[in-house]
Amino acid sequence: MNKLQNPGELEKLKRTIQDGRDPKKPIITICGGTGCKASGCDDIIGIFKNEIEKQNLGNKVDIRITGCHGFCEKGPLVVIHPKKICYPRVKGEDVSRIISETVMNDTVIDELLYVDPISGEKITYEYDIPFYKKQTRTIFGSNGHIDPTSIEDYIAIGGYSALSKTLSNMTPGSVIEEIKSSGLRGRGGGGFSTGRKWATAAKFDTEKKYILCNADEGDPGAYMDRSVLEGNPHSVIEGMIIGAFAVGSNDGYIYVRAEYPLAVSHFIKALETAREYGLLGTNILGSGFDFDIRVYQGGGAFVCGESSALIQSIEGKVGEPRAKHIHATEKGLWGYPTVLNNVETWANVPLIINKGADWYAGIGTDGSKGTKIFSLVGKINNTGLVEVPMGITIREIVYDIGGGIPEGKKFKAIQTGGPSGGCIPESLIDMAIDFDELTKAGSMMGSGGMIVMDEGTCMVDVAKYFIEFNLDESCGKCVSCREGNARILEILEDICQGNGNENSIPMLEEFADHVKDLSLCGLGKTAPNPVLTTLRYFKDEYLAHIEKKECPAKTCKPLIRYVIDPDACKGCRACARKCPVEAITGEKKEPHVIDGNICTKCGTCIETCKFNSIIIETGGV
Amino acid sequence: MKIGVYVCECGINIAATVDVEKVVEYVKDIPKVAVTRYYKYMCSDPGQTLIKKDIEELGLDRVVVASCSPRMHELTFRTVCKEAGLNPFCFEMANIREQCSWVHKDKERGTEKAISLVMSAVARAALLEPLQMKKVGVVPNAMVIGAGIAGIQAALDIADTGYKTYLVERTASVGGRMSQLDKTFPTLDCSACILTPKMVDVARHPNIELLTYSEVENIDGYVGNFKVRVRKRARSVDESKCTGCGVCTENCPISLQIQLQDKPDEAPVVRDREYIEELIEKNSYHEGPLVQIMLEVNDKYRYLPRDVLEYLSYKLEIPMTTIYRVATFYKSFSLEKRGKFHIKICLGTACHVRGARNILDRVKSSISGAEEGLFSIETVNCLGACALGPIMVINDEVHGNVTVDNVDKIISNLGVNE
Repeated sequence: MNKLQNPGELEKLKRTIQDGRDPKKPIITICGGTGCKASGCDDIIGIFKNEIEKQNLGNKVDIRITGCHGFCEKGPLVVIHPKKICYPRVKGEDVSRIISETVMNDTVIDELLYVDPISGEKITYEYDIPFYKKQTRTIFGSNGHIDPTSIEDYIAIGGYSALSKTLSNMTPGSVIEEIKSSGLRGRGGGGFSTGRKWATAAKFDTEKKYILCNADEGDPGAYMDRSVLEGNPHSVIEGMIIGAFAVGSNDGYIYVRAEYPLAVSHFIKALETAREYGLLGTNILGSGFDFDIRVYQGGGAFVCGESSALIQSIEGKVGEPRAKHIHATEKGLWGYPTVLNNVETWANVPLIINKGADWYAGIGTDGSKGTKIFSLVGKINNTGLVEVPMGITIREIVYDIGGGIPEGKKFKAIQTGGPSGGCIPESLIDMAIDFDELTKAGSMMGSGGMIVMDEGTCMVDVAKYFIEFNLDESCGKCVSCREGNARILEILEDICQGNGNENSIPMLEEFADHVKDLSLCGLGKTAPNPVLTTLRYFKDEYLAHIEKKECPAKTCKPLIRYVIDPDACKGCRACARKCPVEAITGEKKEPHVIDGNICTKCGTCIETCKFNSIIIETGGV
Repeated sequence: MKIGVYVCECGINIAATVDVEKVVEYVKDIPKVAVTRYYKYMCSDPGQTLIKKDIEELGLDRVVVASCSPRMHELTFRTVCKEAGLNPFCFEMANIREQCSWVHKDKERGTEKAISLVMSAVARAALLEPLQMKKVGVVPNAMVIGAGIAGIQAALDIADTGYKTYLVERTASVGGRMSQLDKTFPTLDCSACILTPKMVDVARHPNIELLTYSEVENIDGYVGNFKVRVRKRARSVDESKCTGCGVCTENCPISLQIQLQDKPDEAPVVRDREYIEELIEKNSYHEGPLVQIMLEVNDKYRYLPRDVLEYLSYKLEIPMTTIYRVATFYKSFSLEKRGKFHIKICLGTACHVRGARNILDRVKSSISGAEEGLFSIETVNCLGACALGPIMVINDEVHGNVTVDNVDKIISNLGVNE
């Protein structure tokens, strides 16, 4: 492949690719994201390929393995273009029918269609599914159409045109102005103005500057960065090159978690092809501007998502944060000015350059512009990634897009902002989501994880979980974070075991304040947030654990016991056979009994019982 | 020799957890024990009289009381001995309250421990010799060994109260570790700004005699009358005239550089040397390649073998301490070999609320008893497949929506025996 010498050649290439493709030719797109991989899409892909070969259809049909569509719950997802007929949870035995009926004959197979859990209606087209319908998919939209390992696919949908516009028509100053006036704020959690960050770094006249992409998506329950990298890596690369041009940098790094092997390999592949086309490396598109990106894999440390720790880690050291009286934009990696932005932030950049700051600023709320990808997970029907405009309410996300709570249970809270965030209770369900509103509610935007909790989630247990997480991930540099969180965890464990007393809550509050005030980096400063927000909104639950020794959500094992409802039990012996500790006894066709002294409360019997005869009781234990 | 043993009940403080009758019964047959008794409160007047009477009537020459801490009543009982005409240092005490009854619940085991404590005290009592009290003079000087920040401060504090203080330091200068630090935790104050004024104070203080480049060879004597031998090493400079200007060090033709780590002349032996070389070469485009190389090493061998780390240390000129620090900081690394089937269980929030803990418990129980080296478990904080939680990854295969029920099936489908 010859390198593209100027923007005109890029435009020409785009048209050549588009002309070579027949818009009417059916394309079978199969989601190859990590979610669908876990649901077995690799097998389905193999079967599709075999089947096409067997029916000798190689010339008539294209297969495209795309990145994550977002609707991971229903994977493996198969969408037949151009009509976008969508089949969720495809099984191996459905493949030949899909090919012969839908692909070749345009007929829809009724029983394979998606069924809306609320209305019970069958939905044929992907864009009609409520999960997608309420979203505004600007960043994420291309994921379902392009093969992430093919740069041609990206160029065909207008990829790298923002870069060519930047290099031929704009100055570094005008790029920064454009980003500033778009109101883009960092998607990694802090919400700092991206334009201002760039402007600071651009000011310095140093021999080197660095552009970094933070893909150390450590927040548990958040995976939008992974899906962008897996599904559309070129959009991130394009954003980084534009950023590098604006601040005057020639060196870039992307710091990816080693836990994301697919993202790493797609990104490396994307870098290689971009270099081949002359879109990366020396003299990009003949403009004389040089920039290249190196991939650096993290070693599995949550704190490395923090900017100063990330920089330390790239330098090959232990990722311990340092005090930030001097910002990375002045002295960052190896002591040079450094711009660090999150994956999603970089992916926003080409859109803003292409469509203009005014278009971008038109989406969202006063303080928070554009769209945000959230990972909607936990106790919700439609789990997956959703991209929505800032300012949408929690209710719309949970009920309209998420399809409500499974098994008709009651919505209790939504947790945002990862381990540093907080739990927002049901009473605030009509709250608009943006950076400032979430902070006001005691939580934060974070990188965009949204974990839905229902009545079966114990809030004390959730607080305990996050403190455990933060304690585990604390680098140990500050005593307050290392020891303070350990003490907080002890108190929470006491509460969960029914050993809490009237001092527990005041002590939690006191320790939480100390940890917040005395820690150096963001991890420690925010670590007690989950405790503080749950105390703020769910104090009753803490009191029930402490005073009544009850766990209202029936989660904390020492406070619950499993019993069998003798009226519902049919004596089928299914549970007794499955019980790993043989705690269940009873004659056939007679109601069974659980021996509380042996029972480990593992939950196997509940999963097994077809008659819902196993009940969890709390209190009086 | 006649030893009297007295066991105190201390009301119920001791008696509740120690069967004192049994203790007495046991101890009575030990050779040299002439009398054994127990009483409700040994320290009370009747208790004291009991001991006195025995000393006088039975001619006891050693007394053991098993009761509370010596801090409480050692003096009391020594006085009792003295009043009965026995040298007070022929008394021995066994602490069966603070160190036994108060800290135990099980009476049987408490009694056992009390017996063994009392027996030790009896054995010791047999070795006691009568002592005499006398007064000796004290030399009111102090010596502080080591002139780091703690030693400097200690010397200043003592000297300020008017005592002559010797401050001994092995190296050529006071200051120690703190002089190597830039900032101090947690306020990040400038280290030198705290240290240097104190270094000057110590040198100028009229009550402090500084002995640098000196080592303590021998310490003799006792409280108030220590004799310390200090070797001052030759520095071939007249200390009374030297101002520490440093010109001589610049002009010295022989430069003495501090070597932090001696690099061995030959590369250490390493497995798969070519592969490791290749790895280093491949990652050399990173400015700080250590973590990247270690990730690949960890992947290949399922852990970080020591010889490879030593080789990396040699090649990259990074001290082993730094390498170990990195190896133990990042979760991906393991210093022990992982199992043939490495099971990662996600404990991210989404998986947690869907019961990942139960899955973890089940996996643990289901692989327990398996052959060593076959399985290893690691918990990870989010694998980024949150929609399908709970997630479990075995080697590279991702399993979504795992239930307690299908754990066994997944594991038995691994083909462990193949």
